[in-house]
Amino acid sequence: MPETPRRSLKARMAAPCALVGAVALVGLVVFSSGPASADTTTSTTIATTPVTGDTTTTGPTPTPYGVGSSSNGAADTTGSTLPGAQPGSVQQTPTAISALPSAGAAAAANAPANETGIIYTDLPNSFIAPGQALFAANCSSCHGAEANGKIGVAPNLQGLGAGTVDFWVSTGRMPLANTSAQAIRKPPRFSRIQTLEIAAFVQSLTPGQGTQVPIVKTSGADLENGNTLFTLNCAACHTISGAGDALAEGAYAPSLHLATPTQVVEAIRSGPGNMPRFGPGNITNTEARDIAAYVTGVLQHPNNAGGVGLGGIGPVGEGFVGLLIGVGILMLVCFWIGDRA
Amino acid sequence: MSDKSPRVDGAQPPATLDDPHLLPSAKNPKRMEALAALAMLIGMAGFAAFIVVYWINASNYWESATLGIGMLGLGVGVIAWGKYLMPQGPFVEERHDFHSTDDERTAFNAAITGRGGLEVKRRKLLLGIFAIGGGIMTLALIVPGVRSLGPKPAKSEDTEGPVENSLFTTNWKKGSKLATVSGRLVQVDDLEVGGVLTVFPQGFEGSSPDQVILIRLAQLGPNDPPYPIAPPGKTSWGVQGYVAYSKLCTHLGCPVGLYQERTQQLVCPCHQSIFDVNAGCIPQFGPAPRPLPQLPITVDPTGQMRANGSFDQAVGPGFWERP
Amino acid sequence: MIDKTLNWVDDRLGVAKGGRTFLDKIFPDHWSFMLGEIALYSFVVLLGTGVFLTLYFVPSSHEIVYHGSYVPLRGQKVSEAYASTVGLSFDVRSGLLMRQAHHWAADIFLGSIAVHMARVFFTGAFRKPREFNWIVGVVMLILGIVNGFLGYSLPDDLVSGTGIRIAYSIMESIPLVGSYLAFFLFGGNYPGSGIIIPRFFVLHVLIVPALIVGLLAAHLGLLVKQKHTQFGGKGKTEKNVVGSPMFPTFMAKTTGFLFVSTAVIFLLGGFAQINPIWQFGQYEPYQISYAVQPDWYMGWLDGAARIMPSWEWVGWGHTIPLEIFLPAVIFPGLIFNILLLWPFIESFKTKDHEYHNLLDRPRDRPKRTAAGAAMLTLLFGVFFASSTDVMANFFQLPLMDVLWFFRFFVPLAPIVAYFLTFKICNEMRDAEGIGKRKRALIVERSAAGEYTTTESPVRPGDGHEELDAIPVPTFIDTTDPELATAAGVRRVIR
Repeated sequence: MPETPRRSLKARMAAPCALVGAVALVGLVVFSSGPASADTTTSTTIATTPVTGDTTTTGPTPTPYGVGSSSNGAADTTGSTLPGAQPGSVQQTPTAISALPSAGAAAAANAPANETGIIYTDLPNSFIAPGQALFAANCSSCHGAEANGKIGVAPNLQGLGAGTVDFWVSTGRMPLANTSAQAIRKPPRFSRIQTLEIAAFVQSLTPGQGTQVPIVKTSGADLENGNTLFTLNCAACHTISGAGDALAEGAYAPSLHLATPTQVVEAIRSGPGNMPRFGPGNITNTEARDIAAYVTGVLQHPNNAGGVGLGGIGPVGEGFVGLLIGVGILMLVCFWIGDRA
Repeated sequence: MSDKSPRVDGAQPPATLDDPHLLPSAKNPKRMEALAALAMLIGMAGFAAFIVVYWINASNYWESATLGIGMLGLGVGVIAWGKYLMPQGPFVEERHDFHSTDDERTAFNAAITGRGGLEVKRRKLLLGIFAIGGGIMTLALIVPGVRSLGPKPAKSEDTEGPVENSLFTTNWKKGSKLATVSGRLVQVDDLEVGGVLTVFPQGFEGSSPDQVILIRLAQLGPNDPPYPIAPPGKTSWGVQGYVAYSKLCTHLGCPVGLYQERTQQLVCPCHQSIFDVNAGCIPQFGPAPRPLPQLPITVDPTGQMRANGSFDQAVGPGFWERP
Repeated sequence: MIDKTLNWVDDRLGVAKGGRTFLDKIFPDHWSFMLGEIALYSFVVLLGTGVFLTLYFVPSSHEIVYHGSYVPLRGQKVSEAYASTVGLSFDVRSGLLMRQAHHWAADIFLGSIAVHMARVFFTGAFRKPREFNWIVGVVMLILGIVNGFLGYSLPDDLVSGTGIRIAYSIMESIPLVGSYLAFFLFGGNYPGSGIIIPRFFVLHVLIVPALIVGLLAAHLGLLVKQKHTQFGGKGKTEKNVVGSPMFPTFMAKTTGFLFVSTAVIFLLGGFAQINPIWQFGQYEPYQISYAVQPDWYMGWLDGAARIMPSWEWVGWGHTIPLEIFLPAVIFPGLIFNILLLWPFIESFKTKDHEYHNLLDRPRDRPKRTAAGAAMLTLLFGVFFASSTDVMANFFQLPLMDVLWFFRFFVPLAPIVAYFLTFKICNEMRDAEGIGKRKRALIVERSAAGEYTTTESPVRPGDGHEELDAIPVPTFIDTTDPELATAAGVRRVIR
């Protein structure tokens, strides 16, 4: 054989390895879950703390539409959250687990809707004036100065309530960037306080009507109940992993990976867009709290004990990986072992 | 294994070591051997590490990594051994016709037709009886495999048998109370406009053929005119803005749980059949052939929602006996 | 030592003659002949990991309350099948690795069968005398697909349970006997008496694997008897086989490949999550998730069901649901029958009844290659059609547009593919020098600035292609001391 130098092993391996690596990288990047990271400790390190029953708030008995006396959301400081931190940050992860099987379901079967878990709050009156100013500057061009909408442009907001407005604005869906079949979540334009001011203004136009802003206390939630309810009511649109999917008429059910507990409850109660509206007679406040805790505590931190999550869309991603990477790598090994001619 | 060539050796002189076919293909066999040995040592270490990792119950990532490295190391080493260090060949063997000669075939044929034909000629009676007996035996042996299975699907006229045995009946009767899967009874004010709920007849929560999707299309009072649904004659099947349809998709039986409130469409998540609720759940798009069967509902004086009858047709996908 | 043992065994079994023939057996070395081995070794991994799983899985629909380590399920009523699978994933040491390796091995098993089958098809290796082996292979493909479906349905989770419901409806749709078949298998109207999980278990663990093993033995036995095919080339004729001997070369390469395949499967099983059933929850017949597709090898049927228009035949008191029956029963039936009968279809059309031990280059048989390309395009089309909703979401397109696209693409693209492939094959055959394996040219620049090119040396391991083939030597003369120190021979001093 001629002794001319041939290209080094590294040079010859570069192209095939780069190809395999590129495919693997593309597959892993495209199909890995978004912000949720694999949490391998969920299943083994959470301590079981017995629950002494649902904690109740002090003060007047809460009704579906908020506490009797107005508060600015700080009535219960033990582990409560102000009406929503910035979207994208995770609310408290529930740490206590119900030791009783589906206490929620059993109780609901025998008694009227349990009102604890969520407190609906009236926003302070001092929010209305700055809210009106913000509304006039940013929203009235489409929704009108009195928020009663313009036909073919924007819907009437009167009667929808502060919670509904808070949902649309805190998820960044409003103000609308461009008209399309459906508004998409984006970084919110306004700060939390500004969002609540706008919401307070819209609520003030029709006092007492519509969804209020909820204070959601996810500690003490029954994750198993939330799991059951989510699967029955939400998975058909949002998928069982909360990844979201396309609907008819150009609409789509969005991913739930950035939702806060407040936004989850606001969406449940106000039914934005094509989402059905689940009132307290359908999903009680405790059940809504459980769903919110499940979404933020479990769906956003999925237990991907098996490794890379591959997007949470099931066999589609798995098929790509199995065929391109699994069979692909083995075919490359065949190239190595066998003759090429 | 047929072996027609004389491989045993007087015919073939022994090969000598300088035969290029026996030489390894590697240019530097000692280096290649060292590399293969290294690979196998890494493999060995991987397996040893796997035993340790398994013993101390480390995570599945560690188990997989050590097992994978072990297998890879050994595998790569052995492949390198086979490909670069063993005699490079190439070697050849002859293909021999493995089919029999014409004479052998004729003899085989004759054995069957000859001796067999003799019996056929002499013992027609026995042969006939055996053939028929064998046929009946086959039937007899199949029967236990099939007859014990069951139950037989009930005919459409048979409405009294258990619902589990019929494709035509459900547990919905006139007066059945609507209940959620957890057993909670449904009252008329439970749902907001645009609300949706999965309901069952009380006592049969979770039963697959009975699953019904309850939708509130409008907030109507008991004295308001009924909500207009397109199929004539079925407007009265709704009550106070509520309508109820079988949740079993008429395509392949998936639960049609996806309700788009703004467009008032039910979309089946499995194969994207789209049903127009306002038009009586008529399929607008997709493979579903028939509208979802509607359940007549009403409200009793206590506000409890009840069925006002059962479905007027079989629920779920189509089947042969469905008229 | 070997002599004595061999004598003892041969006295009783007479294995020496056959054994030597076996050891001298020649396997051609082309890389594409190893694709079937991928399938074989992933099947071995399936058997091994499968045995592990059967030690822990409980095939029962009986409901219990979950008390294992996965918190969001604690207290929920689940079937024992589901609970034992979650238990395997979290509470059994190396259980998750074995479960995932088992599932990845199944995907790779069927993927490699598809690739192997394509190689056999496009090179014409199914021709006389190998039609039996082709049929055995197609039957193994069908059994493999069925076993995969049965296997991933065993955990009784929401996603696979939906598939079982669909399978029930498909069975029900068969005219005349459909409702009986469905009722008999399930024990009544869906979901039946709960017997379906145990029945799937027996089929998946015992009956179908036994059939596959039997067919595999026949497949390999036929291969041994009829010998492997080979591409034409230097020294290769219809009457010989050129390559490596079974012992020691082929055994070494194939054993190494077994280890490497196992390594890839176990690395995937540890680092790439597959079928995380704890996230899906227990199956209930009134619950559903969106973005639910079957595993890839069933995806083509799901896609066909999605794009099918809603035709249903109703008449004389009966219904034939064509929207199910056509895509889910007739369509796969047609495809599998075409596959099974292809050797006979082709020999009928070409009137070719000769023995063929040399393989075709695909471009030399343009019609067959074009037909294969059309079939692949059809199957890829329906396969991608099963993820219409995921695609619509990912590419932000309206759902209906994606569906309409596939309704046109699936019937039309294969026709385009046929003609395109036919043309490309003919053009490739006409071109000069294509396909002749060129050596890389090494370009060197001398100090004076002159460029010279030389052919690169042969890749190590390919050098043997330059030589003429010889029969496998049985006796090797190692006595000459000079030769014992020849290049490449390690001399051991005793």
